[in-house]
Amino acid sequence: MNQILPTRRPALSVRSFAASVLLATALPLAAIAAPEGELRIAVGADATTFHPHVNSLPVGNAVDGLVFQQLFRIDGENQVVPSLATDWSWSEDGMTFSVIFETGHKFSNGRPVDAAAVAASFNQLLDPDSGSIYAGLYGSLGEAVAQGEDTVVFNMAEKNGHVLMLLANSAAGIIDTQANAEMGAEYGRKPVGSGPYMVDEFIGGERFSLVPNPGYTGSRPATLEKITFMAVPEDGSRMALLETGDVDIVDRVPAESIPTINALDGATVILPDSMFSISMEMVLRGPLTDKRVREALNISLDRAGMVQGILGGLGTPSQGQVGPGTEDALRVTFDEKPYDPERAKALLAEAGYGPGNKLELRVNCPNGRYIKDAQVCQALTGEWQAIGIDAKANILDLPSWSAAHRVPLDERTYDMSMIGRATAGIDFTLYRLFHTGVSANTSGFSDERVDRLLAEGRASTDIDAQKADYAEIQKIIWDEMPFVFLWYQKQAIGIADNVTGFTIRPDETMLFDDVHVSAGG
Amino acid sequence: MFILKRLLAAIPTLFVVSLLAFWFVDLIPGDPAAQLAGNMATDAEIADIRHHLGLDRPPYERYLLFLRGVVDPEIATSFRTSRPVVLEISERMPKTLIIAIGGLLIGLGFGVVTGVICALRQGGWFDAIVTVLTLAGISMPIYWLGLLCIWLFAVNLGWLPAAGAATPAHYVLPVLVVATRPAALFSRLVTANLLEVMGKDYLDTARSKGLPERVVILRHALRNSLVAAISVAGVQFGGMLGGSVVTETVFGVPGLGRLLVSAVGSGDYPVIQYSVLMFAVFFVVINLATDLLGQWLDPRTRDYAAA
Repeated sequence: MNQILPTRRPALSVRSFAASVLLATALPLAAIAAPEGELRIAVGADATTFHPHVNSLPVGNAVDGLVFQQLFRIDGENQVVPSLATDWSWSEDGMTFSVIFETGHKFSNGRPVDAAAVAASFNQLLDPDSGSIYAGLYGSLGEAVAQGEDTVVFNMAEKNGHVLMLLANSAAGIIDTQANAEMGAEYGRKPVGSGPYMVDEFIGGERFSLVPNPGYTGSRPATLEKITFMAVPEDGSRMALLETGDVDIVDRVPAESIPTINALDGATVILPDSMFSISMEMVLRGPLTDKRVREALNISLDRAGMVQGILGGLGTPSQGQVGPGTEDALRVTFDEKPYDPERAKALLAEAGYGPGNKLELRVNCPNGRYIKDAQVCQALTGEWQAIGIDAKANILDLPSWSAAHRVPLDERTYDMSMIGRATAGIDFTLYRLFHTGVSANTSGFSDERVDRLLAEGRASTDIDAQKADYAEIQKIIWDEMPFVFLWYQKQAIGIADNVTGFTIRPDETMLFDDVHVSAGG
Repeated sequence: MFILKRLLAAIPTLFVVSLLAFWFVDLIPGDPAAQLAGNMATDAEIADIRHHLGLDRPPYERYLLFLRGVVDPEIATSFRTSRPVVLEISERMPKTLIIAIGGLLIGLGFGVVTGVICALRQGGWFDAIVTVLTLAGISMPIYWLGLLCIWLFAVNLGWLPAAGAATPAHYVLPVLVVATRPAALFSRLVTANLLEVMGKDYLDTARSKGLPERVVILRHALRNSLVAAISVAGVQFGGMLGGSVVTETVFGVPGLGRLLVSAVGSGDYPVIQYSVLMFAVFFVVINLATDLLGQWLDPRTRDYAAA
């Protein structure tokens, strides 16, 4: 239905035409079917807020995608597509970005979604004093200014050729800042948006439900009378809800429950890709500055065996640092790192390590953050011990594990830590993890070529130039191996057979645009 | 007067708890701002969030604010939701109380009835069955028992919902599961205490007055043996409130235990601090209530000077 956006500037007229075609074809569809049926979903996470500027959970993203409208959005095919935007353009110097959008929409309280409202929404997102946790991520947007009724202009703080990706993320949902000011923190529970659904009920820690927004006039009308989410953190109980027919969808099916769910009469488990890329991120100092050591660590692991044996199949061995679905247009993949313990031993010997001079490795892992993380940690150290490394696993509680990464590089008490990375943007991921001196670059990786290419890729608005830049960066990182790349996690979602049209993106956001529930499930 | 004295005596205790709750939570490794910001955030972004949360203020200032927050809900807000902590707690409290009070009452009822029967029919088949059941009740982890109950009553028999808290039916399994431990404990306790008092002279006096055996047991023997049970009930109730997280997690009930644990996981300091303070207040009140009940049951423990 939606055309895939060329990330960069084709002629304006083509875009306007495409957008009108999109609207012309989508609007009649909107009139066809009235919302029908209730969809019930049990999720493991406890959503605490739906305020797009504060929410960090995929379930919150799913809700925000239904409650708020955006200028752009990421569709089920994981592509950035225009949503309200009908036309957009850059100034010559690349420091002003203007978006013209479809007017006539209203927030669920009746206020119009006009340029002033859109600009106010973005300016609140960009203001750290508002409590927005994404002010830094969106910082390059600078300031939003309303122009007339239907145009918002971003006076950029820096050149950023990845603006559409930023605008398509759910944090860029258009909020009613006036309602937010009036409601205060309650806005996070019952947000006022202009999307196809609105939050009907929110019982903290237990459940919340969405119902169609009667004032919605856009191209993605509600298909369901009600969507109810239940928060059930305990895996066994959550699976029981699907088994008893109390819910239609469960997320985070543990590997050991997949056969049970698949054996049920009316439900199956789907295993979509997740962009969660799990690696052992090294602290690049001492022996780990030697590329031979890093390679030895990378090629001494039986990833496929671990994925099957420990993760129960819920993973795919890494083919690059960034996971699937991380801006597919710019992502490249490589051959998996081989499993060659003999060559690993030879590399270690070449680097000066052997029985008389064992390489010491302190390996930090969280407990309960990623699929089977603590068990994986034990297996990793086992494999490294097998090639003569003195590797010790250090399994930590989540706050201690995460605090350890914030310690200055030369004061760290570990040599590598298991971390999963998942962001929708390739510029954001690579810049923060691999640009010299960025404080989120916790491995201390520094490479002049990468720094230069990252700066070029960010400033460029030409998709082909970006493709070349980011392909080269990803190749350098894959070859330099600042991480021991492990795998991408897989999602496991149990779905009753009476549900059709359900999709979930690699960023683990559920999509309900075309979901229907038939009776009798 | 007695109540007033006890409440005044609780003030220093609560003050010490407030100090411990505030400073110990502050010592938890990790930075709540960094947790909110996510693992891709830069130091500058984290500093902005820290400033917004007021974490960059000097510790004594934050402690004073914490104390002020006890009376001013607008100051005491959750890091995660920005809502007043008192709102978060008051939403969750009824659910925890339903399970804890329900569990305690059912446990007490079952425990006292079976305890009395076992004491009167020592060595019989009923005694044997109850002994086995109570031993099982004391030793079975609530977590495992909860999942077993879900498997049996929800998945296989389909009598009760597996998880959630939407209807009264949702509370049946959690209350029953929570009741197992107090039921077992009270049953053993009442049996042991009854057996101990059964041979006492005052019961013979009561019988010689011509009272029927039922009245002798219920009004004289049982009343005395309940003194210990009430003290245990107080401690149990406190423990049930504090330990509610397991039951609430298994059955997907949004109570205080889950609120506290998720607050610890997400570094939501105000929620942790005020919840701990509130649990301390609960314990003070429960201790007071058990003392008053004990005094009512056993007049010898009353403080005549104060009365």
